[in-house]
Amino acid sequence: MAVSLDSPGLRLAGRRLLAAIPVLWGVTFLTYVVMNLLPGDTAQLLLGANATPAEIRQLSVQLHLDEPFWVRYGHWLGGALHGNLGTSLTNGENVTTILGARLPVTAELLVYAFVGSVVLAVLLAVLAARRPNGIADRFSMTVSMMGLSIAPYVLAPVLVYFFAIKLGWFPAIGYTPLSQDPAGNIRSLTLPAAAIGFPLFAVYTRLLRADIVEQMQREDYIVTARAKGVAPWQILIRHALRNSLFGLITLVGLNLGTLVGAVAIIEPIFSLPGVGSILIESINDHDVPVIEGIVVVFGLVVVLANLAADLLYAALDPRIRYERAAS
Amino acid sequence: MNGEALLDVRDLRVTFTGRGRQVRAVAGVSYSVRAGQTLAIVGESGSGKTVSCRALIGLLPPAAVVTGSARFAGAELIGLSDDQLRGHRGTDIAMVFQDPTRSLNPTMRIGRQITEAVTAHRRMAKAAARERAVELLRLVRMPAPERRFAEYPHQLSGGMRQRVMIAIALACRPRLLIADEATTALDVTTQAQIMELLLELQRELGMALMLISHDLGLAAHYSDEVIVMYAGRIVEQAPARRLFARVRMPYTRALLDAIPSLERPAHAPLPVIGGRPPDPAARHAGCSFAPRCGNAADDCRAAAPPLAEHEPGHRWACWHPVGAKAAAS
Amino acid sequence: MSVPLPDLLAHAGRARAERDGAAAGRPRGRLAPLLRLWLPAGFLVVLAAACFIWPSIYPVPRPVGGSVLNANLPPLSPGHIFGTDPVGNDVLSRILYGGQVSFEVGFAVTAIGLVVGGLLGMAAGYWGGAADTVISRVLDVLIAFPALVLALAIAEGLGPSEVHVIWALSVFSIPASGRIARGATIALRERTFMLAARLSGTRGWRVIGRHVVPNIMPQLMTFSLLGVGVIIILEGALSYLGLGIPLPEASWGSMIAQGQQTLSASPDLVLIPSAFLFATVLALNLLSDALRERWGVS
Repeated sequence: MAVSLDSPGLRLAGRRLLAAIPVLWGVTFLTYVVMNLLPGDTAQLLLGANATPAEIRQLSVQLHLDEPFWVRYGHWLGGALHGNLGTSLTNGENVTTILGARLPVTAELLVYAFVGSVVLAVLLAVLAARRPNGIADRFSMTVSMMGLSIAPYVLAPVLVYFFAIKLGWFPAIGYTPLSQDPAGNIRSLTLPAAAIGFPLFAVYTRLLRADIVEQMQREDYIVTARAKGVAPWQILIRHALRNSLFGLITLVGLNLGTLVGAVAIIEPIFSLPGVGSILIESINDHDVPVIEGIVVVFGLVVVLANLAADLLYAALDPRIRYERAAS
Repeated sequence: MNGEALLDVRDLRVTFTGRGRQVRAVAGVSYSVRAGQTLAIVGESGSGKTVSCRALIGLLPPAAVVTGSARFAGAELIGLSDDQLRGHRGTDIAMVFQDPTRSLNPTMRIGRQITEAVTAHRRMAKAAARERAVELLRLVRMPAPERRFAEYPHQLSGGMRQRVMIAIALACRPRLLIADEATTALDVTTQAQIMELLLELQRELGMALMLISHDLGLAAHYSDEVIVMYAGRIVEQAPARRLFARVRMPYTRALLDAIPSLERPAHAPLPVIGGRPPDPAARHAGCSFAPRCGNAADDCRAAAPPLAEHEPGHRWACWHPVGAKAAAS
Repeated sequence: MSVPLPDLLAHAGRARAERDGAAAGRPRGRLAPLLRLWLPAGFLVVLAAACFIWPSIYPVPRPVGGSVLNANLPPLSPGHIFGTDPVGNDVLSRILYGGQVSFEVGFAVTAIGLVVGGLLGMAAGYWGGAADTVISRVLDVLIAFPALVLALAIAEGLGPSEVHVIWALSVFSIPASGRIARGATIALRERTFMLAARLSGTRGWRVIGRHVVPNIMPQLMTFSLLGVGVIIILEGALSYLGLGIPLPEASWGSMIAQGQQTLSASPDLVLIPSAFLFATVLALNLLSDALRERWGVS
């Protein structure tokens, strides 16, 4: 599948990348503004209530907190563009190191949640679309509706209660690194991934099922496939599902960005040492470099995910990929 | 041409039920097609011509209720389950559809769509299927068939896409090919090419051919026998030449008159048939064409005329046919 | 928080309407669609009435200031149908007052988003050009912004309170409505009656008021109903983190957070507010779906 380097798909992707840069910048800038507008002296917060004014002032100078807003942002931005995200105000550690240690955990959790929800969604949607209004379909609609109405923080304690406390199948809290024990690793991430993934699964199932059914009922090439004598399952999967995956891919890309919140809530519940766990602490501590670091990383992930979705779309949809227009 | 019917349709009816309404799309149609014969079914939109053909191999949506009989080489098709009908699709009866742009999957390569047809009924090695597909592309006179194999539909012109549709239809050597408005979406030159291709293929492969069209001129030119449908019923049927020499149904007459021809004086208004086809959901007593017919009289509105063979080989359904006096004499 | 994007729910709703229409011939009951609309609507009305009116007319133990002596009573104890929490407060009462908060925040934020976002979106969609570019960029940034971070920061900095929560969540709700309004307006712009209105010389805002608004209303409304559910969940999340409605005031989110600490001993402290949250959002989603079907929104 050769992709022409001059193809409109790649050019589109390039344009998107360029357009994303100001958005990324805007996000970091806005975060900086918000954090700095908040009342509360960072230095004071860090030192606690018993600090003397002299100590506070000394720390402020040390952390460059006395410099004007623009200068501080400039410093940070300059550093960031060189890959240096600064140091944490609370414990002086390198932000990059902190993130480096925690990102893999969050990444694994998210991958688990996404892959699980997509795979299950495809399975259920295909079963449901086979017989619209049949048993599988009604079941899928019910499950989707429920998943759309529940939030991860509502689902998590319920899952913990039933599957960890009552049934003991999974640990209620704690994280086992992959290198240490693969099976334990999966077990420790299953409930958090389910809490995050179930609402996603609901959304994807609903979309996919609707898309597939619409194709099966409305598209002419489905009629052609039937007229050829192709078996119904094969039509469903080879034609309808395949073309429906486009919409799903775009959606998955878009969803990635909304997960900061979910991660920030779920990780602490399960005591997972990921990025989400420190997000809230950092906000409480006004630890701006750490917050900015997280925001940058997530912003980047969102941009890249959307880009990947676009590229994938272009790669899969031959109409976009090839330059030659139909005569 | 041997005399026994390849396809024998009797009193075919198709009704759609939805939201408490019943829509009679096809209200009792009977005809037969012999092996190697070309039959044209002509009618305007909503006449039921497409629905009646799709009903034969079960391509209608689930809301459709099909009754009557359609025997293909003696085997009854109506009432079969989808699985059973699948055995006939492509192998016995194949269809070519109107809009090749929408009838081909835009994200699948041409070759794949053809091999899918080839292997639909028979397991075959991938290489063998590919070979057969290229052979089919050659059969439909596609230039550079091997290259086309790997291309996508949007890379081909309309005429080429329709050739691909024909190749797909012929994949399993059907004995009857139904071309449902196969050339309507093409420009005039390509139309002629595709029609010629269909006729050549018919001769080469010994298939029966059913042409569905709203274009009476096309039907005249390319078919052996013509059926005219209106409002879900057959209103006239005759061998092509006789139909055009001696039209009987006012509707058919009007269709013929509406064809623009070079002999007309310039800027003369085209005679059109006033009014619209009847609502298939409503039931009418009397002839469905009466509201628009020049010959309509009270008996037309009172009772629907039956389709009967008033002259040998020529059936029509009319109380007051055109040229009746001439025929009577 | 993963937000169910409005488009795909619309998509699903449309496919569902299609399915209903093309169903295998059996006559569609008139009853089922009506039930789908009125059951969730009825539930919401009853719940809202209970939350706002019941405490006024029927004595209910106060949601705060309970006595520790009463702590951790299980459900169905005398005088406390839902039991009490670790501090001694009556759970039923906290559910009702928490419900007030949820409804207030949900509808207030959605209303703000609808009005402000709607206006911005319609302006961007109708006039296009520079206005559109600017507004769209702003909306894009707001949407790309990690909403939770912003909400947390605001709540953190300004101190938790219901009003601050409403502000914080409005920042999130405005671009959501804005996008829908913009998209719908653009789709509408090309239709003939719109061209006619513009050609007739009617001024911009009048066209918008007379033609755009009534036509995009169904779409905006059904989307907003979904939005109420999302906002209620978000408010719950903020309260859960301690940055929304401050304790000891009642909020379903904070009740869940609190109850988590005694999950194995008294699961009902988590399960009861969870059930109410779930049921409320479910009803809102079902209602939105049913209205979408009724109004034929695509």
